[in-house]
Amino acid sequence: MAINSDQDIVAARQSGRALAAELGFSATDSTLIATAISELARNIVSYARKGEITVKTIPGSSRQGILVIASDDGPGIPDVLQAMRDGFSTSGSLGLGLPGVRRLMDEFQIASQPGRGTTVTVKKWKQ
Amino acid sequence: MKLETSFEDDYRSALSEYAERSGEAGLGRAYELGRKAMTERKGLVEIVAIHHQALQRILREGRKEKRNGGLLRASADFLTESLSPYEMAHRGFQDAVKALRQFNEILEEEIKRIAYAVHDEAGQVLVAVHLALASLAAELPDKQQQIRELEGLLNKVEQQLRRYSHELRPTVLDDLGWIPAIRFLAESVSKRTHLLIQVKAAFAGRLPGAIETALYRIVQEALTNASKHAKATRVLIQVRREDGTLRCSIRDDGEGFDIRATHAEGKRRGLGLIGIQERLNAVGGTLSINSAPGRGTKLLIRIPLEDFNGDSSRSRR
Repeated sequence: MAINSDQDIVAARQSGRALAAELGFSATDSTLIATAISELARNIVSYARKGEITVKTIPGSSRQGILVIASDDGPGIPDVLQAMRDGFSTSGSLGLGLPGVRRLMDEFQIASQPGRGTTVTVKKWKQ
Repeated sequence: MKLETSFEDDYRSALSEYAERSGEAGLGRAYELGRKAMTERKGLVEIVAIHHQALQRILREGRKEKRNGGLLRASADFLTESLSPYEMAHRGFQDAVKALRQFNEILEEEIKRIAYAVHDEAGQVLVAVHLALASLAAELPDKQQQIRELEGLLNKVEQQLRRYSHELRPTVLDDLGWIPAIRFLAESVSKRTHLLIQVKAAFAGRLPGAIETALYRIVQEALTNASKHAKATRVLIQVRREDGTLRCSIRDDGEGFDIRATHAEGKRRGLGLIGIQERLNAVGGTLSINSAPGRGTKLLIRIPLEDFNGDSSRSRR
């Protein structure tokens, strides 16, 4: 789904929470997934203005899990490693932002090309 | 009427709205409020208090027919959501403590390596120089006096190297324990800096290795602070055991400092204190600092020894 406004963020959170409930995730994990989606959506809105968030089950695995892909065609991140470090940005110094998302989820991948956009892929497995 | 709504008001109206009609928008709002609170440096306990007050007021003003069971559930969900940014920060803190702990271990290994290089490796070179000087002396009988002076200087270098090496990682720490080790350290620092250091220990038992190393490094850092930064002339180190707790206080008569400002600025001394705190975290201890500009500094370290009897019969290795 397209991420462009606060309503879009709410819709993305909603779909994450609905899928989490469907798969039988705990309420705590559902909250963490919604929080991660919010952080990713926030990043899209503040750095690329618009982008997309996809929420689905992790395919091809016997374990159940949620996959969230956040992508945009924004300016991209020149130094991904630096962006993943705590304290790089104001929110990062508080443990929020991308480093925070990495800690809330089980798996985290980021691909970014300056001038071409950023894609963050995160997974959370059902406990 | 207020022109600008306070965080408390925003929180209460968002919670009240969510209680009226649940939905993701309300939870999203809770998360945004929690995030805002964090960036405004509101504490976790503060948020819980704000939540509690908001809930109380909603209950007071609420219509009678409203089912309180539903409100309770909604309020719990809302609070959880608003605390989720703090969960991120909490996990970040745990990661940071773990990284610091590993860093300390690496540092300790590195110190051992340097201590070995300074003492043993440099020592071997010095032995070679001594031998070369001896054979030179045999060839130059008329230069005996100068050669003896050179040997005297070499011996001084050797002594200094040994002292530095022991200070870095004293074997006495492993062999005799941290009290003899800090006595040795105190003596060594006194000679080097003219700082008067007194060690009063009413406790002589051995402690687990991790605690002894932590205490040694803490005293070392405190003495560095006292001599380098605080320009102190006297330091008193007191150690005693009270009930199940080891208490070690380190007091200097130096310049003192503003604790809050130093922490905020992340200065060298601030970092040193953070290092002390982290070493204590690793062994379950606490640090309290008492200082003010012109008033000297007192560090009080407490380490619970509940699981440990502290008798010297227990081996450290």
